[in-house]
Amino acid sequence: MDGALTSGQKARGSRGRGPALTTPADWNRRIQLTGLGLTLPALAFAFAFMVYPVASLVLLSFQDYSPLRSTTATNAGLSNYAWVAGSDLVHKSIWVTLVFTVVSVGIEMAVGLALATLLAKLVVESRRLFSLALSRVLNSFFILPFATPAIAGALAWKMLLHPQFGPVDAILHGDIAWFAQYPLASVIVADAWKTIPFVLFLVFAAILSIEPDMYEAARLDGANAWQEFRYLTLPMILPVLAVTAAFRAVDAFTKIFDIVFVTTGGGPGTDTQVFPLLIWRTAFDYLHFGQAAALAVVAVLISAVLGASLLAVRRTAST
Amino acid sequence: MVLSTAGRITRAGRNAVLAAAAAAIAIPVVWMALASLKNETDLFSNPTSLPRAFELANYTSLFTQFHFAVATWNSIVISLGVVVISVTLGGLAAYGFSRYDFRGSRVLLAGLLITRMITPAALVVPLYLIMSALGLLNNVFSIIIGVAVLNLPFVVWVLKPFFDALPREIEEAGMLDGLTPFGVFWRIAVPLAGPGLLSVALLSFIAGWTDLLFPISFSSTPDAMPLTSALLQMQTGYKIYWGALMAGGVYLTVPTLILSFALQKYLVRGMRLGY
Repeated sequence: MDGALTSGQKARGSRGRGPALTTPADWNRRIQLTGLGLTLPALAFAFAFMVYPVASLVLLSFQDYSPLRSTTATNAGLSNYAWVAGSDLVHKSIWVTLVFTVVSVGIEMAVGLALATLLAKLVVESRRLFSLALSRVLNSFFILPFATPAIAGALAWKMLLHPQFGPVDAILHGDIAWFAQYPLASVIVADAWKTIPFVLFLVFAAILSIEPDMYEAARLDGANAWQEFRYLTLPMILPVLAVTAAFRAVDAFTKIFDIVFVTTGGGPGTDTQVFPLLIWRTAFDYLHFGQAAALAVVAVLISAVLGASLLAVRRTAST
Repeated sequence: MVLSTAGRITRAGRNAVLAAAAAAIAIPVVWMALASLKNETDLFSNPTSLPRAFELANYTSLFTQFHFAVATWNSIVISLGVVVISVTLGGLAAYGFSRYDFRGSRVLLAGLLITRMITPAALVVPLYLIMSALGLLNNVFSIIIGVAVLNLPFVVWVLKPFFDALPREIEEAGMLDGLTPFGVFWRIAVPLAGPGLLSVALLSFIAGWTDLLFPISFSSTPDAMPLTSALLQMQTGYKIYWGALMAGGVYLTVPTLILSFALQKYLVRGMRLGY
């Protein structure tokens, strides 16, 4: 019986049982106050440093403001939004971010799914000592990119792909400046490397949660490995795949920053200037806080739409 | 299980693919570690060679030339600060949302969770102005606050289902024994939720340790820089010291690597619950 802890309604129903020292109204008030009291510190913190800043962002987006040049903000009307709507820089940035998101998430999902499927097969037979040991070792390797800070991973890739003293060009006997000649592809490779473990471990857990009996049945029906994957594994893990892909896409679109900042800095030119980087540069390099705020408002709106659809996907997938 | 020859070959092939993938995934980090142990000549003239003598010069230069002592201290302070703030506030809130269905709680919870989707670069712009007004620029506190507020929704997101799954009977017994609601939380729910708390503490630490955005935005003096932005500074000079840069990358990676390996179970659980 969970009356005491959940709601006043249930507490009222439980009158006469247990040590009823308080009236239902008291109970209800106590529940309200305790719930609020427990959550208030977090809500206050989030309000002060998340809600209030975002609200002030909206105000700022209608102003001209360069904090290091002048201390006053002047009214700019809709000019910052006009700039956002008309600027090729912004359009290109959104396009680049979109391409980055689609390709990067596509690679992560494909590689993550393939490796997770193979790894699950190995673990299922882990009654054998060798398989068990091998899967442990492999797990440690696969978790490596996740455990590596993005900036360190980015530096490692910069070194690997360096035209003069990177091992990749040395082995290929070429002098391709990967991050200059194929900037977006190189950034995508580095990002996919960093995020494959995330997909791998989520999908892996999903596959392991499928009933072993079902595989037994498939085997008795004479299914080969591909059929088993196509008609059993894939349909069973489809909800998890959908949620993972949606999550990764939202994260890739809204949070890609470190790897690009460290490897290409958005260049050459603006070829890899992803949207979060454009916001940051507009504020901290070009010191146009008003324009940066307008961009940020657009980003927050995109995040809100993506976030809401993500919650919807999650709900659909879990039912 | 009896296996046919074909079955054995498939299995060997599968293991080979997995091993090759694992090796490929490790290359960037392994290469960074190897490069950090080379001297300048080897680094530039023999890109594919192994380090001849394991030189630690690159590592010592981090401390003599690149302010890594103070940066290490700042990184530790920031990471622990993020853990304390986000796990304390997030833990209390997750428990509150899990156990007390107060008026407006669902809306507040949904609102808090949706802030997880915010673009950090969008938040940093107004937050910079607020920190500037509070006089907190070039101070690790501004970085702690920035990382913690972005991390908070994640902590609640992970911990609320964790508290939901705990049996209520024990907590009710505690109530009947005269514990206050906070007493129930602290003495009963927290110990039971230990593994969940450990997962979020670990991921919060990593969030603080690896964050780059807030340090490059909020602090420009070496005194208030953590390792991430100190490392980035090494790229801006006239000459890039690649050996030292790789050493710095390894230095930044080792703590998160050790934590991740030691607490792999909790990390993977955090990853799984956190989406």
